[in-house]
Amino acid sequence: MSRYVIVTSRDLYEYASSSSMLELAGALKHRGHEVTLYLIENGVLAARQGAQLAARLSDLSQAGVTVLAEDVSAKARGIEQLAEGVRLSNMDELADLIVDGCDKVIWY
Amino acid sequence: MARQSGAKSVAIVLATGSYEREAPTTVLRLAEKLLQRGVNVNVWAFEEAVTLTNKDQIDHSEPGALQGILGEKHSHVSKYIDMLLRAGLHGAKLDWVSCILCVQERGVEKHQMNSVTIGTLGDLWKFVRAADRVITIPSYR
Repeated sequence: MSRYVIVTSRDLYEYASSSSMLELAGALKHRGHEVTLYLIENGVLAARQGAQLAARLSDLSQAGVTVLAEDVSAKARGIEQLAEGVRLSNMDELADLIVDGCDKVIWY
Repeated sequence: MARQSGAKSVAIVLATGSYEREAPTTVLRLAEKLLQRGVNVNVWAFEEAVTLTNKDQIDHSEPGALQGILGEKHSHVSKYIDMLLRAGLHGAKLDWVSCILCVQERGVEKHQMNSVTIGTLGDLWKFVRAADRVITIPSYR
């Protein structure tokens, strides 16, 4: 079992390949790995409550993927209510994850 | 994959330059937190990212909209880089290396900040080999 941090900085609505990252997160979890999906910059746009992709993030959370959204990115974009299963995070937590909480970082 | 914990060094590969996207600010914010945790950080700047350390350009906030949230300390990229490089004098160290081919192509070899090293792909290879974590920031093409 490995621990993955997938950092998504792109707007998931803008890039077709972003769907693959969500699939990757789910597939890694399905294979028994520990997975954190960390949304930052425009990546947080999908985490807004009511957004189309929000349900997909909630599904990943239900499946056991830890889904986090960075606070500065969310605040800059006026996102106050996050999708169910998405927790507000900060740069300190991302640094801790990179240093102590993962074996591999994938930055998309 | 062998379990690793307590990373002591992180290599970050960055291709986003000045006046483009939010990535340089994010990298600097992350690098600051890693340095505070005693983690050495190596940034390999290539392609447009070599313009971040052009000491002669008009200093810029990137993006300006974040200034209201992050405050003045974080508003200008080159000052932020300089601050982190100086912080390494008394703790964990930041190395910022600009790709030699990229600076020559863009005519900014003689304009790099003094504390920045101009390096080769061999340096990148050594960074990657030595780092406990390697983070490659996409350039969104």
